[in-house]
Amino acid sequence: MAEKIIQVENISKLYRLGTIGTGSFRQDLQWWWNLYVMGKKDPFFHLDKTAPPGVVADQIWALRDVSFDVKQGESMGIVGSNGSGKSTLLKIISRIVKPTTGVVRGRGKVSSLLEVGTGFNKELTGRENIYISGYILGMNKVEVAAKFDEIVAFSGIEEFVDTPVKRYSSGMYVRLAFAVAAHLEPDILIVDEVLAVGDADFQKKCLGKMREVSQAEGRTILFVSHNMQAVNTLCDRAIWLNKGQMLEMGPSSAVVNKYIASLQKLQLGQKWQTPQEAPGNKYIRFKQVELIPHVEQSDGVIDVRTPLTVKFQFWNMLEEMSLNVGIVLYSYTGDCIFDLLSPTLHCHTGLVEGECTIPGNFLNDGSYYITLTIAKEASIPVYNLDECLSFDVEDYRADICYFEKWWGAVRPKFPFKLVNHQEAYQIIR
Amino acid sequence: MSVPKVKWDWEITSQTSYWGASLRELWAFRHLLEGLVKRNFLLRYQQTVLGPFWILFPPLLTLVTYVLVFGKLVGIPTGTLPPVLFYFAGIILWSFFNDSFTGTATTFRDNVHLFSKVYFPRIIIPLSVIHTQLYNFLIQFLLMLLLVAYYWLFQDLRPTLSITVMWFPVVVLATALLALGMGLFFSVLTAKYRDMGYVISLGVRLLMYVTPVIYPMSAVPEKVRWLVQLNPLSPLFEAFRLSLLGEGTVSPWQLTYSVLFTVVFFGAALLLFNKQGDKLIDVV
Repeated sequence: MAEKIIQVENISKLYRLGTIGTGSFRQDLQWWWNLYVMGKKDPFFHLDKTAPPGVVADQIWALRDVSFDVKQGESMGIVGSNGSGKSTLLKIISRIVKPTTGVVRGRGKVSSLLEVGTGFNKELTGRENIYISGYILGMNKVEVAAKFDEIVAFSGIEEFVDTPVKRYSSGMYVRLAFAVAAHLEPDILIVDEVLAVGDADFQKKCLGKMREVSQAEGRTILFVSHNMQAVNTLCDRAIWLNKGQMLEMGPSSAVVNKYIASLQKLQLGQKWQTPQEAPGNKYIRFKQVELIPHVEQSDGVIDVRTPLTVKFQFWNMLEEMSLNVGIVLYSYTGDCIFDLLSPTLHCHTGLVEGECTIPGNFLNDGSYYITLTIAKEASIPVYNLDECLSFDVEDYRADICYFEKWWGAVRPKFPFKLVNHQEAYQIIR
Repeated sequence: MSVPKVKWDWEITSQTSYWGASLRELWAFRHLLEGLVKRNFLLRYQQTVLGPFWILFPPLLTLVTYVLVFGKLVGIPTGTLPPVLFYFAGIILWSFFNDSFTGTATTFRDNVHLFSKVYFPRIIIPLSVIHTQLYNFLIQFLLMLLLVAYYWLFQDLRPTLSITVMWFPVVVLATALLALGMGLFFSVLTAKYRDMGYVISLGVRLLMYVTPVIYPMSAVPEKVRWLVQLNPLSPLFEAFRLSLLGEGTVSPWQLTYSVLFTVVFFGAALLLFNKQGDKLIDVV
């Protein structure tokens, strides 16, 4: 069992809203007089432990009683929606802001990368910026000098190293800035959403470098990202923060799945009791639509492996009519992925029921919605039930170190054969 | 709670310390200090035609103005000293104080983008400003020595080199320390109250008039002399001229007062800076 390298104990952070610093010098004097001389309670700042989280009057708990440990060589992911306190937590551990209550203890040198290009100055050349940025991030002269060539090579700006960075393209700027940070050698590396910048190729490079740092070199990493695949692959464990409180901590895949499940805006079914309230027209009234994911794992996340069954029922008020039902699947951008037509059925008045299963390993990850269409005589539209079902398909990649968005409208797994013939090689030789 | 078995290197609590960064930590960041000083130089003269000569032009131009306005027009006596040397000594020491003080007084306000993203001992930034100004001052001081040499060789200036030369380093150090102390003190205030920025720029201009920069202490009427003598900068300026040019009205007691004031004020300001520094980032 590796030793603990960071111990976070009951960290809370309270921010005051509005005019921080309470505005004027006079008010501050008044406050100071009341608090220290008169011995009254601070009217602006009292730690009411029983108050609910979130906004209380003019103050907000950015973090509330967060505790966890990180072990030597472990990489810990922090996930949560915007404003959940992720960055505040990283800032506290990086010693940038003070917690309101609680203690963080740790061992070794900490370097934090909360922004790409901290300490960069546009007027200076690439070379000068590498040095100054390295110093700011906590390297010393010898370390920067030793890593200098590596940094330049990693960022790919060899010809421009003596040009002021204001003349760089924004891509070069970001690459150089990250390269400096990537060659830090701290015991603990703290990384905030810095991978959101740069092109896909560069992001891949960054993630690869972080992987190398965490796994090969055995450094401890604290990592905040909205890229769930990256958290899943890079991190051993993860924390889920919501409104400043820790909801979940555990193996990263479990935490990430729970977090994603909470985000999925699902409309997996709709039901109407009587034809009067149901959507439709004088020919057709819908009774029920339903999407049933055949999820194997318990957390209920629909991912690219999950088969999905669409079930529907409608009241048919047309006598002696041949009907088709179409399932039209749209991506969230409104592109039609497919339009699946049922076989024709000769119907009488009464309830019509149908179902269709979209196999697993077919859809790409993304958000989708389904429209049901009903047509008579094979071509005449009767009624469309627009956007009646919506769901998200999450990414799942086992053992693939590739974090970008998978290309393509669909992501099928067709039988794919790859054979190695050794005899042929002999012949070529 | 069980006692932690592991030994921790650092601990972050809601408490802020008066002592700030340890010396060991400051030592670890010495290259940053050096880099920042270098950066300050590079930035100042980037894309200028005259480059580092800009260190010398402002005091020279000020000198010409002072000699014309205060020397010829107003006719302030400069004792036995040639006006050029008298004013130049005042100008370079004042600009050293002025630039060091105003440069450090907005430390938090100007570096909030840096302070909110990365940790290093905050004192490094004001130290780098003082260092930069010290180099500027030394360059200007070399020019001053050239001027003295000219007057000594071609004019009949005969400065008597006495034991008072020993005061020179004391004066420069005390000026730097006082400027840094005031800068640290006001940097906390400017972070909280934006009005302080205006107060400083006005106040420092007024302060110059109660400091013997453009006039010698001996020219101050007896009635108001106490006011000028109360200013801890005054003995420093007089001692500066005394040590270099051999003329100045200052007693060892006054100089002691200055140095003591400087040390105490600097110490207090440093404690305030350390104590408030970590909290200010929420406020700036």
